[in-house]
Amino acid sequence: MVFTETTHTETDLIQQAQAGDTWAFGELVRHHYSPVVNVAYRICGEMNLAEDMAQETFLRAWANLNSFRITGSLKNWLYRIAVNVTLDALRRKSEQPMDDEVVQMIQDPTPNPETLLVQKERAENLQETLSALPLATRNVLVLREFGELSYQEIASVLDIPIGTVMSRLNYARTRLRDLLKEHPSMQEAVHA
Amino acid sequence: MHNQLFPLLNAYLDGELRGTRLRDMERHLDSCAICQRELDDLRRVSDLVRAAPQPAFTSADRFAANLTLLLPRRPQQSQPQRTTSPTWWLIPAGLIGLLFFIQTVFTLSNIVRAADATGLLSQVAPWLSEGQAQATWFTATSSLFGAQMNANQHSTLSALNQFTIFSADWLQGLIWQAGLVLLCIGWFVVWNFMGEASTRTQTNL
Repeated sequence: MVFTETTHTETDLIQQAQAGDTWAFGELVRHHYSPVVNVAYRICGEMNLAEDMAQETFLRAWANLNSFRITGSLKNWLYRIAVNVTLDALRRKSEQPMDDEVVQMIQDPTPNPETLLVQKERAENLQETLSALPLATRNVLVLREFGELSYQEIASVLDIPIGTVMSRLNYARTRLRDLLKEHPSMQEAVHA
Repeated sequence: MHNQLFPLLNAYLDGELRGTRLRDMERHLDSCAICQRELDDLRRVSDLVRAAPQPAFTSADRFAANLTLLLPRRPQQSQPQRTTSPTWWLIPAGLIGLLFFIQTVFTLSNIVRAADATGLLSQVAPWLSEGQAQATWFTATSSLFGAQMNANQHSTLSALNQFTIFSADWLQGLIWQAGLVLLCIGWFVVWNFMGEASTRTQTNL
């Protein structure tokens, strides 16, 4: 774990932030922003919404930071907030269909237009397929693949039994494979 | 074996199997083409998902800078806040004061009683002497059988009477002290509970 000033460990920063230090909290945000916004994005499928959810996640974390125990994992705690915040937002807008947002890519630094188009199409298809999974199984898959959490950690973050984590992950990957096979641009990648 | 291990392929892929199950799975994969193919499929799906490019989110620096501007101020605190009202602290102080007072009263009264029993008090401060304290049983026994008892029996009975009086005083003092200590513990529990309750702000995160 690398922070801008190597003398500050995450524990130091959490303690300082708990004492009201906004700079220390900013450092924690800088470190955890990317995984948090990515998890939110993979669950909700919208870039702008994901950034809003990340902001809401960190604001809630700041408001409740004194209830966080230093011995716990800050990353897992933030994931728990992010998942709940994103699910709340999705529930609120469940009546409206999701916008077909243009996904901006940051992959190949010198992509040619054709490569960019293929990448973009694949990314869109993948996110579309992820969004087609039921929310309960999508959360488990996202925390495993993007959050890189163990089954025990996922069970703790989502407050479900570890057996449920396993069955949902089984379903999610199998279903995802079947759905991806239906996309012509993804068939090659799935079948390898 | 195949039916038992097939649902565990994801757990194997994610490195979640341990011990016997892991060894069983590795042996089974060596001989089962179906499971091996399924595992390859699952691995490809997992790799594909993990390799999915991220959209160009706002940079972490900019996001953090914007967010810190939105942070509401919080009171500077590193310890859970507990009740610090002076009145609140008077309770344990009062209890401890009462404990010392009672202890002093009992000690002085025991000294006076001891001096009285040895006859010292009647010489030094006769106005403090209240005569030999008598337990109820001693009074009753003396009035019923006093006439038939010899000197030895009288002195034994008198010693037992002194012991009874001393034990009763000692027990009374102990009960007072225990009561006050319990009140102090009760105060501490309430104080601690109030501190915990004031920091229990984690609601549906």
